[in-house]
Amino acid sequence: MLNILTSAKGSRLRSFVRVICLIVAIAAIWPILPGTISLLFIPALSPFVAIVSLLGTRAFHAVTWLGLTVGVVVLVHHRLFCRWICPVGLCLDGASKLGKRLGRRSMRVPQLGRWIVWLTIGGAFLGYPLLLWLDPLAIFANVPFLIQQHSRPGMWLPAAGFLAIVMLSIIWPQIWCNKMCPLGAFQDLFFSARRFLHSIVFKRSETDNKRDFDLIIARRTVLGIAAGAVLAYVAKPVRAKTSHSIRPPGALDESQFAGVCTRCGNCLRVCPSGIIERDFGQNGIANLFTPILRFENDYCREDCIRCTEVCPSGALVRLSLKEKADIQIGLPKVNMDICLLGDDRECSVCKRWCPYDAIQYIFSEEEYTLIPKINQQKCTGCGACEAACPTEPQKAIVVLPNSVSV
Amino acid sequence: MNEPINRRDCLRVLGISGMSAGLGTISSRQLFGRSIDDPSGFESSVIATHKTENHLDAATIVDGKVIQPRRELPILDRTDVLIVGGGPAGVVAAIAAKRAGANVTLVERYGHFGGLWTGGLVLLVIGHIVKGGKQVCQGIGEEIMRRLDKLDGAIIDRKAGTNPTVDAEAVKYVMVEMIEEAGVKVFLHCWGVDAVIDENVVRGVVFESKSGRQAILAKVVIDATGDGDIFAAAGATFEHRSHNVGLVSRIGNLDRIDSTKASGQPKPRHMGSPTPASGVNWVNMHGPEVDGLDVATLTRMEMNHRKFIWNNIQKNRQIPGYERLYLVETAPQLGVRITRVLDGLKTVTLTDLKAGTKFPDVIGVGGSDGRNQDEWQIPYGALVPVKADNVLAAGRCICAEIRMADLVRLIPNCFVTGHAAGVAAAVAVEDSCSPREVDIKKIQKILRQQEAYLG
Repeated sequence: MLNILTSAKGSRLRSFVRVICLIVAIAAIWPILPGTISLLFIPALSPFVAIVSLLGTRAFHAVTWLGLTVGVVVLVHHRLFCRWICPVGLCLDGASKLGKRLGRRSMRVPQLGRWIVWLTIGGAFLGYPLLLWLDPLAIFANVPFLIQQHSRPGMWLPAAGFLAIVMLSIIWPQIWCNKMCPLGAFQDLFFSARRFLHSIVFKRSETDNKRDFDLIIARRTVLGIAAGAVLAYVAKPVRAKTSHSIRPPGALDESQFAGVCTRCGNCLRVCPSGIIERDFGQNGIANLFTPILRFENDYCREDCIRCTEVCPSGALVRLSLKEKADIQIGLPKVNMDICLLGDDRECSVCKRWCPYDAIQYIFSEEEYTLIPKINQQKCTGCGACEAACPTEPQKAIVVLPNSVSV
Repeated sequence: MNEPINRRDCLRVLGISGMSAGLGTISSRQLFGRSIDDPSGFESSVIATHKTENHLDAATIVDGKVIQPRRELPILDRTDVLIVGGGPAGVVAAIAAKRAGANVTLVERYGHFGGLWTGGLVLLVIGHIVKGGKQVCQGIGEEIMRRLDKLDGAIIDRKAGTNPTVDAEAVKYVMVEMIEEAGVKVFLHCWGVDAVIDENVVRGVVFESKSGRQAILAKVVIDATGDGDIFAAAGATFEHRSHNVGLVSRIGNLDRIDSTKASGQPKPRHMGSPTPASGVNWVNMHGPEVDGLDVATLTRMEMNHRKFIWNNIQKNRQIPGYERLYLVETAPQLGVRITRVLDGLKTVTLTDLKAGTKFPDVIGVGGSDGRNQDEWQIPYGALVPVKADNVLAAGRCICAEIRMADLVRLIPNCFVTGHAAGVAAAVAVEDSCSPREVDIKKIQKILRQQEAYLG
């Protein structure tokens, strides 16, 4: 079997398989069958995402097995994933060929990919995988944002990551795949570990042994992981304070979220209400492109858990509908200066639209008017009240993150 | 009143009631009625002498309980369609039924039409539009609004996508005009107190007025009382709910306020919103959530609110620049929002509103109080009681779940259900059938002919 993987005859077969994989991948991220969650599978295939998020969240997600399986399969042959499956790899091969034809040559750079992996793993130990978002499959999953219709300008921006690595590969052919890709470097690491273990069992030459050993436990590795851990330690508390936006249900704690989130955009695309949007830096650079909720026009529906089903890294923990009903993603706050009730106006919109019956209007003898009261036990922060609130331009009832409203 | 009260009936009533107050009022009314036809001077005349021996109908105390004896009630009128309640739903129902070919009698407890819209001074008309500013309240309700357009100072903010505010007196006037044009027979100052029933079937309604207790017999009765007084009396099942009870007022001289003097001062509270009368605002009030059918509660509300309104004005007048503010009036009618709600064949639900359910028996489309809401259909079944026959509900008391109550009770939605009830009653009379067996296609056809919007 290994012969087929390396033989000349296998080369044509390989090209064929790669094209098929690319077509399947594109079909998956543009869900050809509406209502399917096929787009989940692209970023979830990455063993880098699967293992690092497993390390970071210390929780086995519903889709972790996908990445783990791929991780085991690629042990068969060095960089098997890159050479046979990776849809990004095929695109970048094309870009590199174009670059070469234009007379561009590869640049000598250190193995950045490995550093990305070390730093990320180091961060993952502290629950904050620093550079998980550089996973090529997560970047690839953003491609549809280039041409999808959006209500808000700039929504295509995250897809620029893919364009950037294509441009890189034209300017310096193969630079991404060989030197920068964390998924590739992760496979190198994996494969070396396999060979090292193999050699201990089957006794190989000293030099081969040393090379593989170096890759796994050399000084640089230790340094990289330590640096990642230190960076994550520094970065964590900053994040927890700065995020003033509400995350989708099932989101990890703010101290982890920005790290574990791959920015693949899956959650945005499956949301039937269209309320998930990108953070465009309002909560600091660390949260750039992470998902946040906006309840201007719609709310987080009580009968939907789709975003948690398509998260490849477990940044959104998969929930059942029942579990979701018990989660509070935020708490609404009423501004009585603009609430119609405060002005004796006739309005019962937020009370009526609350799916959890969590809003009551209490008559205040002092103010001689009604004041909305939110039952914190019942409220999930779904934003139905905010979406329905008729005041303009500012809504009188606004859902705030738990950290802010408490 | 189109015809003066028959003298023989009148004497009979007087003879058996023996109420001196009744005597006084009716005699002066008779005098006034006569003086127009035949001026006979500024004098009082004797209509009848007070007979005291016939006291058989007064309540008596039997074993410590107050017992009202059985008695025969005079029949004031016989008609095809009888509508109890002259608010937005009742007035539209009366005009619709008359235009659909039935003989119609409308009775109203106050001296004017419009119900809470006019007597309650709820001047802002919310609920005729949905998402995108589309107007879903059409038909006779819209006709009323168009007539207001033509009057000077009757309505403001009447443009696409906004909620207009009306002048109560203009509405009262327009309604009189339209009721008279349609040829509806009217009795004002009549409070419907009981149903005339034959087993499960409503045959008419009993009224209390200065003429005493009388009955009107009808083929179909429409309960547009808002409180469901008639269907409740007829034995229909219903839900008894509490809601906020407030008292609306109007304040004046707002054009003589100098708000620049008030900088740094506390903001004046409960200042309301503009009306067609310049310098006059109407001030809504929510009030506490209470039982609007309990007379002791209603009394307490009326008195508490009155004190609050007066004191609030005095407080606002203390603010520099606001000295000339004054209380124009408090509403003659207390703002009761919801009391009885019918148990109908179908229920208006929020689930159907969200799902945009289309009903085969749709008789109207409801509007919203928010801006983001789509239109929602109202099924005919929501007007038809599960129990009790020959009676239809119209207005705020139609069958709707509690979360929909605040939409169903809006003025334009009362127009819509009133319009449908009127047409349905007329069709039931024409086809000699019960309102629950009526041909819904025919109702829908006539509603469309009368320019109602059914989605």
